[in-house]
Amino acid sequence: MSREEHIREFATAALAEGRVDYFIGWQQGYNSSEVIPVFIRDAAEVEQLVWNPLCHHNLVTFLKRNMPDPPDAKIGVCVKGCDSRTLVALLQEELVDKDKLYVVGVPCDGIVDRRKLEKEFAAEMVAIEFPERGKVVVTTRLGETQEFAQDAVLLDVCRLCRYPNPVYADDTAGPLETEPDRKHTQPDWTDIADYENFSDDDKQAVLEQIYSTCIRCFACINVCPVCYCWDRCVNRSRQPELVSQKVGAKENLLFQMIHMMHVAGRCPSCGACDRACPVEIPLYLLHRKMNKEIYDMFGFEPGTSLDEKPVFQTFRIEDEFGD
Amino acid sequence: MAEETRDQGAENATATTEAGTAGATGEATGSPDTRRVKIIGIVCNWCSYAGADTAGVGRFKQPANLRLVRVPCTGRIDPLFALKAFEKGADGVLISGCHPGDCHYSEGNYYARRKFELMERMIHHLGIPQERFKWTWVSASEGARWQQVVTDFVAGVESLGPRQGRAL
Repeated sequence: MSREEHIREFATAALAEGRVDYFIGWQQGYNSSEVIPVFIRDAAEVEQLVWNPLCHHNLVTFLKRNMPDPPDAKIGVCVKGCDSRTLVALLQEELVDKDKLYVVGVPCDGIVDRRKLEKEFAAEMVAIEFPERGKVVVTTRLGETQEFAQDAVLLDVCRLCRYPNPVYADDTAGPLETEPDRKHTQPDWTDIADYENFSDDDKQAVLEQIYSTCIRCFACINVCPVCYCWDRCVNRSRQPELVSQKVGAKENLLFQMIHMMHVAGRCPSCGACDRACPVEIPLYLLHRKMNKEIYDMFGFEPGTSLDEKPVFQTFRIEDEFGD
Repeated sequence: MAEETRDQGAENATATTEAGTAGATGEATGSPDTRRVKIIGIVCNWCSYAGADTAGVGRFKQPANLRLVRVPCTGRIDPLFALKAFEKGADGVLISGCHPGDCHYSEGNYYARRKFELMERMIHHLGIPQERFKWTWVSASEGARWQQVVTDFVAGVESLGPRQGRAL
């Protein structure tokens, strides 16, 4: 039985037994080249649910504050490994109620980066198929097809993923993926190594170039599953004013740093912000670096254990920081 | 620099001597920028602010480039205050509070030091040199230590000259 069939089966059972009010999963978009989130309220509609390496959306975003409708709804939700870590981060802070959740974990072998395909092949894709594991076949509007190896078109965050299996789930859709041996390996931070080796002036020049394109649309903040202040976001505040209304690289970078510092210790680098950004700002430069330093300081990986507290909401007297 | 930091030094507790101005002409780097460096100090009310006061009362000579912002506790200091200062054109940011264990509110600085440590590393990641950001502990009685901290920090910032920040 495929993972997709597992998900449908779990959704049918949960909806039919009334354990959940609605079930959040992924469905096919306008054509098979795209996947969008779907809310299933009726067991008869579960056929809409799909699972394939295009399901990049982090559905935990729909669980954060003010999102459940009604506010006390019982919700079923599908999570990949990275999504489950954001869910654990919310659970660590007791911001979602475990009893009102039904979590279906979906072991994941990596999500395909649609933007990479667009850049490398064609902008107008009408179908992306996965005939067998590890293979991606893309069809364009003009009928051209090309085959890619899945590893070659994976998202950057997936390439370095250490948690392919959900860390928290009530049910798991199919067999687990092979886990990396985490006890003996350090996380791989090679994706930001190039930038880190720049001189201070070069870093500033790169950041200026990157952040002059930011339009402050709040997509990264709205889509972030662990960023939940909504209208009370300090980024929107005029009194006190942290980010001015002026538009420029400085203000835009400060805007982004506010987001980063506010999710510090809770962001597991799921990469939802990178994918949501309409101007393709490489936000991973900031959140991957932040996670690298947090790992270096505390040996802490956000959202991996329900018993832990986010590192910036607690302290140890023995901490050795500063002089 | 687009933004000028406004002088908040009306109630400046530091002993204001003009000693710091001589070295601020950028001669060290050969830069034509001759503005005096502006440094924002964010200090806790109970230790470092009083420590700065002690330094003033004791007439310890120290550079006048520092403008102090007094907050109730280092736990109140959002690390983003430092970034905001840099965005607004500060050339350096100095954060100081009670020694660990001496916090007036028992544990504020234990939380704070975790945040500052991360902020320090992120600030360097943004291409702001190490010399421009410092956080430390100065108690109310350590007037001499305050003088030392300020003198060293200002000298470090002055050796780099005023900032030409392009992104933050």
